[in-house]
Amino acid sequence: MLFHSRSDLFQLSLTVNGKSVDREIVTHLRLLDFLRDELLLTGAKEVCGAGECGACTIIMDGQTVNSCLILAVEAHNRNIVTIEGLRDTTELTDLQQSFEHQHAVQCGYCIPGMVLTGEKLLERNSYPTRDEIKYELSGNICRCTGYHKIVDAIEKCSVTDETQIEHR
Amino acid sequence: MKPPTHTIGNRQNRVDARGKTTGATRFVTDIQVDNMLHAAPVYSSIPHGLLFGLDFTPAESDPDFVAFFSASDIPGENQVGVIIEDQPLMADKIVRYIGDSVGILVAKTAESAQRLAQLVELKINVLDPVFSINESRDATENFLHETNLACQHQVKRGDLKTAFNEADHIIEATFETPFQEHYYLEPQGCIAQPSATGGIYILGSIQCPFYVQKAVSKALKLPFAKIKVEQAPTGGAFGGKEDIPSEVCTRAALAAHRLNQPVKMIYGRVDDAQLTSKRHPFQMHYKVGVSKAGKILAADIKLEENAGAYATLSSVVSYRSAMQAMGPYVIPNISVESRSYYTNLPPTGAFRGFGSPQAAFGHERMMDIIAAELNIDPVELRLQNVLKVDTETQTGHRLSASVGAEETLRTAAAAANWTAQEVSENPRFKTGYGVSLIHYGNCLGAAGWFMDGSGAKIKVHRDGSISVAFGLIEMGQGALTVVNQMTAEALGVDPARITVLPTDTDQVPDSGPSVASRNVVMTGNAIRDAARQLLRILKEAAAELMQCDLNEIKIENDTVLNTRNAETLPFEELASYLYLSNRPMDVLGWWHVPELDYDALKGIGEAYFTYSYATHIAKVQVDTLTGQVRIDKIWASHDVGRAINPAGLEAQIEGGTAQGIGWALTENFKLELGKVLTDNLTTYLLPTALDVGEIESIIVEDPEPEGPWGAKGIGEPAIIPTAAAIVNAVSNALGKAVNKIPVIPEDILKALNEKSTGMNEDSTDYAACLKSNRKPGQPQYNREKPWPPPNDC
Repeated sequence: MLFHSRSDLFQLSLTVNGKSVDREIVTHLRLLDFLRDELLLTGAKEVCGAGECGACTIIMDGQTVNSCLILAVEAHNRNIVTIEGLRDTTELTDLQQSFEHQHAVQCGYCIPGMVLTGEKLLERNSYPTRDEIKYELSGNICRCTGYHKIVDAIEKCSVTDETQIEHR
Repeated sequence: MKPPTHTIGNRQNRVDARGKTTGATRFVTDIQVDNMLHAAPVYSSIPHGLLFGLDFTPAESDPDFVAFFSASDIPGENQVGVIIEDQPLMADKIVRYIGDSVGILVAKTAESAQRLAQLVELKINVLDPVFSINESRDATENFLHETNLACQHQVKRGDLKTAFNEADHIIEATFETPFQEHYYLEPQGCIAQPSATGGIYILGSIQCPFYVQKAVSKALKLPFAKIKVEQAPTGGAFGGKEDIPSEVCTRAALAAHRLNQPVKMIYGRVDDAQLTSKRHPFQMHYKVGVSKAGKILAADIKLEENAGAYATLSSVVSYRSAMQAMGPYVIPNISVESRSYYTNLPPTGAFRGFGSPQAAFGHERMMDIIAAELNIDPVELRLQNVLKVDTETQTGHRLSASVGAEETLRTAAAAANWTAQEVSENPRFKTGYGVSLIHYGNCLGAAGWFMDGSGAKIKVHRDGSISVAFGLIEMGQGALTVVNQMTAEALGVDPARITVLPTDTDQVPDSGPSVASRNVVMTGNAIRDAARQLLRILKEAAAELMQCDLNEIKIENDTVLNTRNAETLPFEELASYLYLSNRPMDVLGWWHVPELDYDALKGIGEAYFTYSYATHIAKVQVDTLTGQVRIDKIWASHDVGRAINPAGLEAQIEGGTAQGIGWALTENFKLELGKVLTDNLTTYLLPTALDVGEIESIIVEDPEPEGPWGAKGIGEPAIIPTAAAIVNAVSNALGKAVNKIPVIPEDILKALNEKSTGMNEDSTDYAACLKSNRKPGQPQYNREKPWPPPNDC
């Protein structure tokens, strides 16, 4: 949360989860607060508010970013995908299923950020090694799991055949 | 798909995974209600002083300002101490630490509340603070409370003097362990709302809803029946949400009650770090007498804990560390004295392990120091002394069953290939192996026996679906899933029928706190009790419907079976008939820990009803160039009695181990003159995916007769042995004794450059500073200008 003495207004236009959004906002509003408080997309969480933990991860123009470090005005005319917009059906993505099967979820507060980070990694690299996965996840902090089962979930999802995931 | 015959022992998926992977789960931080106001805490920025006034007029003129409440607004008692009544809900005469709350500021937005809270002026006459255990213990005046001693516990057994005389070796060492911040990812928070009954409804991130109910009742002078506390999905707790939510929720409840409007309070991250409890720092002195062959004959142990400004849960932390001070070994002669001292620092309280990781660091470092002195293999030394069935613990508790200590040691050593340890080929890295063996008393023990009972309510709906309410909570550890599995097993039905409800004080009787790794044992046994009663009702109805004898009915594989003629009935039909035949549809199950024979004065007897056991073996690489310690692998073998869900169990072991790695190596908690410097992740380094190495879980099942399906607790045993195993490995790699944590690269480099035998002896400068929480060369406390220190201006 940013404190600001003046409240300059800005007419913000952007695409969020495939829908165009137009809102008048105060210029010091962070993108994270805009998504959570204005659009009620609460999947992205605030944990450290300092760009260290990755719990506020979203995808902006195809890149994962920490939405606590970005002002909403910086997202003007950009394309945002949050955890809520990751899939357009009621089915889970393969990676979300893999998180479920691998028991990778505990308190769940870091998980939306972990899933988005994992999805982007798998998009770039279909068969990451465990070390590559750990490196990619090193900007996402989890206090519950010790990361093992999260790494498992991403590693096992890189096997394309879904039935194989079921079996493991 | 055919439902499984048994659900206990299955790697069943978590029932709450879907909501959490999709972002659909709504934590209290995510929830907004109509007409909601926002609050922020107003607290002291002086570590010790006399409060003579509060001025909120600078905030009042802001258009977003709604109200400010302080001690004089509390209709009931201004007291929130959970065991010892030493803590005001809002300080009104004395402030005792930076973070001591004096009021709550309510505004229209969360942003305004936090901004305006900083404008409230506290008028304080500054008093001299004490920060270290030594200063607090040695003080002869200006005590924080009536005395500086918050609490003490002891164990006195056998004849120490004779035993030390007979010992071939007497070995002494001193150990130190630091603060640890919980850093649950979701901060403290709640929404308090006036309710239709004229009372209060609280939804919060809470570990112990019944504690909150009691605290709100006391401060607001409202009957328990008018206070409903519901636990929202909780984003981690680790002990940090045991007693702290009582403060947070009660202050918010006061505001909601006075304003007759919903009030939401979420702590900012820096406030959370400064205001809330931490793990107790310990200073420990061990003196142990052993025979030439390695038999432990006597131990004289002194534990001292920094309790911070208020006692909170210190008395039970101190109790637990005293009861487990020398570990899972046979020690016929022992003296343990454990004392907690007040200081002007944030209160220390419950943190996963509850004094056990500290005591484990003491006894397991000690075992390795003895092994080195006697030139015995560390695993062999432990095997010689380890507890078995028909031996007695250090408190004289004769163990009759479920003592898997030795098996955890043997399985971990075998998995790690202990007798053929690898050595780094690169001379820059020194490889080290370290072992650590612990026991953990399950549930609250003799000190909390009076409140060690829990309930579960099972309701069958007329469509055949089943809901379960329980009195303990899910905070990430997997309670909902094992409650689902245990209910399915107890009733013989498909887990898919069962919905486990969020914990709500209106649903179940006071079941005590969700602490002490007691959830599976307590709730599991309560479920078995409820299922026994419910099965009787179900079978009576089935016998009526299927025209047979009650004893001929079996419910298994989700089907009702008449064993006389193998006729079956879908469970739905039985449920429907239950309703139509006017039978009760829900039952309450209850279980209480068996009575314990314990003498509190001497600390002798059954300290706990049973114990979990664990061995961790760590393999580390010490980088002689950078001083960094890299974890290669940790083998973690745990005797849990029975694994209800092996996947969830591994997840607990992995997570606990990672927290132990942080405590041992990276989480260098720093305070300066009472202010937390490491108040966020930029300076307080939690382990990342790159820091935890590989963790191999080994499950040992030595069933506990009193446990549900033989199960014992796992939540805390997961963290307890880790730090000692790592530091034993580092000591092994360096060939020098390392007796304090965290082990930071600076210390390693210093040790490598010195010719001494022990790191702790040679960093006296550092140790002295650690004791006083001061950096070398740091200024003394200045009454006129308490913060920031002059050299920082």
